[in-house]
Amino acid sequence: MSLTGRGILLAPGGSVEASKASLEAGADAVYVGLKGWSRGGGRGELTSGELIQVLALARNKGASVQLALNTIPKGHEIDFLVERLRELEAWGIGGIILNDPGILARIHQCYPDFPLTASIGCGALNLGDVALLEEIGASCVVLPGTLDPAEIAEIRPHVKAQIEVMIHMVDEFHQLGKCWMPSFYRTNPSPMPEMPADGERLTGSIKRGGAGVCFKVCQQPWGLYFNGQHVDERMLPARQVSRAAEVSAYIEAGVDVIKLQGRSLPVEQVFSLVQRFRMALDQARDGRQVAGVPPFELPRSWVVVGR
Amino acid sequence: MNRELFELNTTISNMKDLMASDLDPYDAIYLGNPFCRDYEANFLEELDDLRVGIRHCREAGCKVYLSTYAAPRNYFMPQIRRAIGVAAEEGVDAVEAHNLGVVRMLRTEFPAVPIHIGGFANVYTDTGAAVLGDYGSVRVTPNYELSLEEIEGMAKSTGLHVEILVHGKMPLGISDYCFLLEYEKDWGMKCPDLCQQDLFLRQGEWAMKSVGKGVLSGRDVCMLEHLPHLVAAGFRFFRVESISEDPAYRRDVAAVYREALEEVLNGAFQLREGWWEKIQTHTKVGLCNGFYFGQSGQLYIGNQQSAGFGETSARPSTELGRMSSVEPLSRAVNNQLRVIS
Repeated sequence: MSLTGRGILLAPGGSVEASKASLEAGADAVYVGLKGWSRGGGRGELTSGELIQVLALARNKGASVQLALNTIPKGHEIDFLVERLRELEAWGIGGIILNDPGILARIHQCYPDFPLTASIGCGALNLGDVALLEEIGASCVVLPGTLDPAEIAEIRPHVKAQIEVMIHMVDEFHQLGKCWMPSFYRTNPSPMPEMPADGERLTGSIKRGGAGVCFKVCQQPWGLYFNGQHVDERMLPARQVSRAAEVSAYIEAGVDVIKLQGRSLPVEQVFSLVQRFRMALDQARDGRQVAGVPPFELPRSWVVVGR
Repeated sequence: MNRELFELNTTISNMKDLMASDLDPYDAIYLGNPFCRDYEANFLEELDDLRVGIRHCREAGCKVYLSTYAAPRNYFMPQIRRAIGVAAEEGVDAVEAHNLGVVRMLRTEFPAVPIHIGGFANVYTDTGAAVLGDYGSVRVTPNYELSLEEIEGMAKSTGLHVEILVHGKMPLGISDYCFLLEYEKDWGMKCPDLCQQDLFLRQGEWAMKSVGKGVLSGRDVCMLEHLPHLVAAGFRFFRVESISEDPAYRRDVAAVYREALEEVLNGAFQLREGWWEKIQTHTKVGLCNGFYFGQSGQLYIGNQQSAGFGETSARPSTELGRMSSVEPLSRAVNNQLRVIS
């Protein structure tokens, strides 16, 4: 089942239990990572066996599963991935989330009917970005929740691709998909799980190893020096974006999919997060003002570290 | 001078910096600051300046490219369109796009203008470069995280020209938010002066240079002693990243690289102490090789003993610091080379 219609709630599934919690809390679809291939990092990925379990759970709920294959593999790894998709497609996956326009274009050529989502890491921010990604094969493009509904309303009439907005996310200092601070300090090549050849995951690189291992560089205390003089001790700014109250505005702007970040959240928090947005979305669909949505408390360590 | 055999280029944000800069060591100049619309008199906003700036570069014997914003929202696009329009009227040699939307705008609205893909465009794969080639791109700066081995492969498989950063502070990201604005009151200084100050974020020996809406590596990427390898591998387009530097840095560093590259191409390359002295004069924190040798970006791999020069401080005591220990050499690196962290 692919994502169709507007106002689909796409929730995180960092584990079988978290996927179950998302589905029970009312998600229309869950997105999960496959070990070694997912930007969510090692803590938020599933083995093939676990993926099959989640597919069964979703099927029972009439929901869809999106598979995040959104690290950027290297040449021979891409060949392996393209072949592997033949098997994954047969399992009934609703679509693939990809992080590189080139890989997206190639997979679209090989599997023209497979729904492909251009991940937030593709960096789309404007109409031209979305249009180009659509032209090369994306059936859905993810935009950050830092974009206002009015900006999305400007894009919507000009593209056919679905527009997905991550309206619950950590807005870090550097934009998602445009940060190389962690790998500047450290990279740690490690074997790629579930890959028979010499696959390599570049831990430390957000794009090539997964965000779950970004070493928290921006959340370290940094001394700020002005002309060589220490003037402050600070972290780089980051904030939680969680725009449940604006769900109606996003839907009216033409957003098709409401996405929630959080594949490494504890199961109980996934449930309450998804429940909160389910309530907001249902109110919006009924034409009601979003109200009474319970606040969502994040663990202190979640910001940046535990997306 | 071997003006035809290679290209040495740099970035200049505004007219003030352009007029203060000696362009003689350069073959080409990128005009415009891709980080921020509010950067003082950014060529991308001051279009009369852009027109004059293009002519000035031409008169200095340089090719001229227009750089564009790294992360433009919809509301940036009309101004980008205007800037490209002016640049096209002036016969600019190419426009650098860091963003797919700008690439598409160039393809559809300015098809005669050659497209260079900038380092913020996240070109990680051969297929990604090929897609951009299909949209009319003629040159690509791969993402900074790629190794030389990967970049060489990309150049061979796509046939696109590849540009690489050979010296200067490497961008480490782009932000929506300028945290320097928080200091306006305390420092008695306002935008757009804030980000032009000498501002570093430091933790022990590690440093990043703040440019407001983003940070650059504190250490300067330096590929001086590796130029013979780069030339042998077929690279011909080299950038000295001086966007946040003063005119003396811009002139002196490029002069060293120009001389060195000419010697490489003449088969007479020999590292000179005078070159290192010049580089040292302009090195605040230290040197690194970026990701070119498949390692963390802050390491310096090479034979130059003084590569760690610049300011020094005690090793960091934090978890982040402990993680910075020197790692094994990449398989791509000659085992005879030294790692200087």
